[in-house]
Amino acid sequence: MTQNLSSSALVHPQVKDANAEADIPSGYGKTESFLLPKDPAWLFLFWEITSSTLECVRSQYGQETLEKARTIIRLHDVTDVALFDGTNSVRFYDMPVIFEARSWYINAPESGRTYLADLGYLTEDGRFILITRSNITSVPSGRISNVVDDKWMIVEGDFQKLLQLSGADYIGLGSSERMQVLGERWKLTELTNSGAPSSWSSFKLHLDSVKTEEDEDIWLKADCEIIIYGSASKNAVVTINGQEIELKEGKFSIRQHLPTGSVVDLPIKARNAKGDKTRQVTIKALREQGK
Amino acid sequence: MGEEKGYLALVLHAHLPFIKHPEYPDFLEEDWFYEAMVETYIPLLNVFENLTEEGTDFRLTMTLTPPLCNMMEDPLLIERFRHYLNQRVELSQKELNRTQGTEFEGVARMYFNKFRRYQDLFEHRYHGHVLQGFKKFQDMGKLEIITCCATHGYLPLMVHKESVNAQIKIAANDYRSRFGRSPRGIWLAECAYNPGDDKFLRDEGIRFFFTESHGILHGTPRPKYGIYAPVYCPQTGVAAFARDMESAQQVWSAEAGYPGDARYREFYRDLGYDLDYDYIKPYLHSDGVRRNIGMKYHKITGKVALNQKQAYDPYAAREVAAQHAGNFMFNRQKQIEYLSTVIDRKPLVVSMYDAELYGHWWYEGIDFLEYLFKKIYYDQKDIKLITPSEYLEMYPENQAVQPSMSSWGDKGYHDVWLNSGNDWIYRHLIKSAERMMELANKFPHADGLLRRALNQLARELVLMQSSDWAFLMTTGTAKEYSTKRTKDHVKRFNELYEQIQGNRINEGYVYDLEQKDSIFQQIDYNVYSSAAKEAVLKKY
Repeated sequence: MTQNLSSSALVHPQVKDANAEADIPSGYGKTESFLLPKDPAWLFLFWEITSSTLECVRSQYGQETLEKARTIIRLHDVTDVALFDGTNSVRFYDMPVIFEARSWYINAPESGRTYLADLGYLTEDGRFILITRSNITSVPSGRISNVVDDKWMIVEGDFQKLLQLSGADYIGLGSSERMQVLGERWKLTELTNSGAPSSWSSFKLHLDSVKTEEDEDIWLKADCEIIIYGSASKNAVVTINGQEIELKEGKFSIRQHLPTGSVVDLPIKARNAKGDKTRQVTIKALREQGK
Repeated sequence: MGEEKGYLALVLHAHLPFIKHPEYPDFLEEDWFYEAMVETYIPLLNVFENLTEEGTDFRLTMTLTPPLCNMMEDPLLIERFRHYLNQRVELSQKELNRTQGTEFEGVARMYFNKFRRYQDLFEHRYHGHVLQGFKKFQDMGKLEIITCCATHGYLPLMVHKESVNAQIKIAANDYRSRFGRSPRGIWLAECAYNPGDDKFLRDEGIRFFFTESHGILHGTPRPKYGIYAPVYCPQTGVAAFARDMESAQQVWSAEAGYPGDARYREFYRDLGYDLDYDYIKPYLHSDGVRRNIGMKYHKITGKVALNQKQAYDPYAAREVAAQHAGNFMFNRQKQIEYLSTVIDRKPLVVSMYDAELYGHWWYEGIDFLEYLFKKIYYDQKDIKLITPSEYLEMYPENQAVQPSMSSWGDKGYHDVWLNSGNDWIYRHLIKSAERMMELANKFPHADGLLRRALNQLARELVLMQSSDWAFLMTTGTAKEYSTKRTKDHVKRFNELYEQIQGNRINEGYVYDLEQKDSIFQQIDYNVYSSAAKEAVLKKY
């Protein structure tokens, strides 16, 4: 899961949003998961795991095995696999996750491929215990096809010219202006300030175009995301960098991208309900790029 | 084929989410519809009427989305719009006296004349039914009206193909009931295309759709003509036309685009804030809060504060619109001339815009279009306006290319509709779709109250699926309303679902929802059956 990561910063939806899901069901009482495409590099997985499912797995495999196991997403590349039987994927990628997060943005290791995601336990001795399997979905390639058409021959020079004329340089650009204008259109009736949490606003959703530098003698690409997770006592108020985080059954998790040349200093604080006791853990990370 | 060197297809996408609140005597967000009616939709019809009267031939492709059609034909909204329009006429008449002898005399006269003309068209030419106007120009062959996903649902984020099938079938049926024939084309909401969804279009006889430029540029195999000719989806033969970015930028670009000209009308300086409170109060909403009322007397002027804006001169602004139309045409002539040296057939440039850009946002955009139609018809022979249907008739042979997944949203894919600010909705959208399918499969032949409940369940689902809610959550404007709408439909859906499952349907509850969420009177919940989806997939 380290190659081909593009610079995208994603904040987990668990960051408290007063508007979201206050008075509609938080779940539907069924263990299942769904996988959605976001762009050539990202997928979105969300799931529900019921307590009876967990109970069932516990009684089958034993409390001890599960306590030593890691909970993971196993992303299977099932491109051109006619019928997936749980083992015959082209390859798979494991990534740690906590079940309570209930949703996760997954970096697609390769664009233009077809994926499905399994959620489950990876035991100490390497066995995978499946909890739920998602639907199958594809992410777009995000580039010009290599396939040429015999019937509709193209002169290479003309095609390059045509690509430029067709606005290949504009792909994915320009539409933001349209969005701003359209957004303004609705503004007239807005009564209250939407009050976006300011400390998170610097984490703009931004996706660099994925460019290869294969012509160079040596190249290196590396990227980093930090997953901060933990738990706190019941009724505690937890903040990360001053931003309040919603606890789900006493646990929390957020995910954050670490841009080049940045230092991240993330104080995590917990305060009890009365407000007279606090605990703090600070996580620091530094990303440097050498010459 | 004549002597022209190539073609221009102008496409306007007219859409608003279904907003109707009979439970309130006065509802803020309904204004979006009334404003668009008086600033865009009726002014466009007025242009069509003028052009036809003076013998100027034109071609335009327009989406009228199903929610918009439903609102245009809704008796309550028609009545409320009538009131809105009457009030504009009344206020603009008062303004003639107030502004007499001032620098605002000309602009006040402009509003009065326009509002009266639009009222005359609305009441006496179309008898309250503007769709009749649009249909008239379609029947004359000048306007090609295309449909859209039933509620502007965002297809690539629908896991169940039953949902995709239903969005297309409900839309096509609605179109037939209004325009007396099947739709030949569709605007996929947000131009969001997912490979394979063309099967559901084909099944409704839809021959073409539109994509963002990279929908075709990233297609497989490489498209011989780039985006300057349509391609056929390999399995279905449905044509995809892609957006030309050069002409898009000319209009959209905040810096270089036409709408930013200093002589054009300033959007943010509005009489709702400028006039004496007691004088303007009758034209505000019942809460008496000052808001925009759609009458603006100032021009953009330049980068100055709102209170430094100068008086608007309608004649000067119209002149600028004419110049910009000339410039736009000139650029298309040059573009097409150059393209025709690169490709071995007459190039087609597809210029796609939101209809509400014209008139509502860019006030003089309507004049721009009128001048553009005239100039293309009278002043040159290099380019010709064309509709996609006409083009396909002329060039029935096109390359088979599988378009790539894409949208015209920011960054080109699904980010706008799927990000940390709105991703929570998909849990409910997808689960509700699954429950809808479950009940459609369980009750293939429902009648009476059960049938009504199932049909209403389908309405709640499609309304929940409007991509507008996720969009507004992302832009941050009207976030509260869009969040509430999503939740309301989820709650209503779940309540109805429980009632149906528990065999305890409350007729009063169903009736209440039928009044509020009254879109698609003719909806048939059976479109959600898995058999209906399988029937389509078996064919292609």
